[in-house]
Amino acid sequence: MLKKTAIQKISDLAAELLAKGTLIAPVKESAGFNFREISDSGQVDFSFYNTLMSPKSAFFPQTEDFVRYDKNKSVLDAQCVDLNLKPIFLFGVRPCDVKSFEIMDIHFSGTGAVDPYWKKRREATTIFGYAFDLKTPADSADFYSTLNIGAADPEGSDIFMMKKGDGLLLKAITPKGENLLSSLGSLTEASADEIKYFDDTVAAGRSFKTRFTCVDDKVIAKKLEDLFHKTEFWEKISDACLSCGACTFVCPTCYCFDICDETLFAAGVRRRVWDSCMFTDFTMEASGHNPRTKVYQRLRQKICHKYSFHIRKYGVISCVGCGRCTRSCPVNIDIFSIVDQALKE
Amino acid sequence: MSINFKQIEDKLKTEARKLLEEGKVSIVLAYGKGYDEKKPMPYVVRKTSDIENIVFNEYCTANMARYLVRYPRGTKIAIAVKPADSRAVVQLIQEEKVKREDLIVLGIPVYGMKNFKTGETIDSKTTCGIYNPVLYDILLGEEVHGQPVVSPYDVLVDYEKMDKDGRWTFWKKELDRCIRCYACRKACPMCYCDPCFIDQNKPKWGEKSPESQGNLMYHLTRFHHLAGRCIDCGECSRACPVDIPLYLFHKKVAKECEEMFGQAAGMKIEDKPALVNFRVEDSDKILE
Repeated sequence: MLKKTAIQKISDLAAELLAKGTLIAPVKESAGFNFREISDSGQVDFSFYNTLMSPKSAFFPQTEDFVRYDKNKSVLDAQCVDLNLKPIFLFGVRPCDVKSFEIMDIHFSGTGAVDPYWKKRREATTIFGYAFDLKTPADSADFYSTLNIGAADPEGSDIFMMKKGDGLLLKAITPKGENLLSSLGSLTEASADEIKYFDDTVAAGRSFKTRFTCVDDKVIAKKLEDLFHKTEFWEKISDACLSCGACTFVCPTCYCFDICDETLFAAGVRRRVWDSCMFTDFTMEASGHNPRTKVYQRLRQKICHKYSFHIRKYGVISCVGCGRCTRSCPVNIDIFSIVDQALKE
Repeated sequence: MSINFKQIEDKLKTEARKLLEEGKVSIVLAYGKGYDEKKPMPYVVRKTSDIENIVFNEYCTANMARYLVRYPRGTKIAIAVKPADSRAVVQLIQEEKVKREDLIVLGIPVYGMKNFKTGETIDSKTTCGIYNPVLYDILLGEEVHGQPVVSPYDVLVDYEKMDKDGRWTFWKKELDRCIRCYACRKACPMCYCDPCFIDQNKPKWGEKSPESQGNLMYHLTRFHHLAGRCIDCGECSRACPVDIPLYLFHKKVAKECEEMFGQAAGMKIEDKPALVNFRVEDSDKILE
């Protein structure tokens, strides 16, 4: 099912979605675009390239409350935090970011232990993927095509959208998307021409090139494994690294978190907060021993985890080439340039 | 007169080669190629074969003094410094984190540096607005004279118009956006504490989650830890992935400090940090 609307009428579509549930879409903020819960249908802005922070926070927010407690009461008063979700519409997710949800599913629901918070959010959400504009060149930090992700891949989205001139085409990919799309009154049927345009763009997106040439996952994994003990290589590539957490926090596939109790005057909350392998205290053990005290050890861990251990264990690279880490890095470290250098070692 | 970046780059290469070949230093902290011409990176030269990768252009904003404390004491280091960075080196020497005799300072007189994310000129806006390094052994290029003298505190005009409540609202709003990636403290040459107070959990000084309470605790404490020590390089603001204008607070504190104690941070090796030193004639304004 392919439907269409005009870009100018996007607020009508947003209003319809708002009436059905929660709408999360890119909003312009001082530092760039970010996915935010929309309160007014006029807020939806389609002039973004990609967001500063990844859309992972729609399923895995930076802080997630588990238990609220109050130690002032004579009997300890603690209550689990329940998620009561309305249907969520995650609007305008780029194909590489859609791919990241599939990778994150491995950790939050795919390997036996299921994270109820992730699962509930994921099930409540309808994903509106959104193709990159093939007429404008990719940002100099992107490398999704290197990882075999097309600029207009509809896989993983429930509904996939793309621009055609002043119009927006929307195609249902999953039954969930089909149900939703048929219930939206502000959309009109697309013509045969537009159906052809949609299919052509998806195909053209597969040959759309970002940086670097494709390399075999297994080759990268093996190479990094062989290099693991070559300290001088890792020292060299981490010379510039400040060891801040900017890259991991903007990353759509970084999933590490810490669980902490935040208490004020005996009342508080046990919550999950994003953590980062780039922080010194990330590996600090209770004994006081820290196996990764040096910057190179931490950067090596980050790169080997994404491009080597993850392939070994789950058969897929834990990176989608969205380029966010590179764009956000205060010292311009580019993760795939490091992999590229490793391959040349 | 404009800055000849290519000439500085060539001189940097020549000096780096000479210092390494003569065995005077074991590393040179300079700038190297990034993934894009406009995205240079901090670069550590260890061998003469690394020298060809050195670059210097208007986007080389990183403060290399930040990396000095990473090497064991006694390591002989040559460091390329722009004017603000040279103040960081001076401040680190004052604070006894590095020794003057272990350093060879390659000074770069420069203006018109640009933020590589936004492309805007940073000179006195987010940086200290000085054109010549305050400390150097070898000067790469000619001293800059005749450029308009702009006070680094001019950008505070709008900020200072706000009253107390206005500033509180302003900072609450700005700091609420913080994602706690700690890029600001990691980019800061004066933030060398290990561990940083915010990472401690016995006692726990601030919450880890990026919400008002913890964010204010982290930033306000960091602002005050840098009072009289911030050398106004602006790296914290440029490092911030969500563009929080941290420089405004640092500049405001630096201005007050300068007015009260008659010295700016990192200008002379003989100085002592304003809040470490006690002089009978010191201003009592801080107690009022």
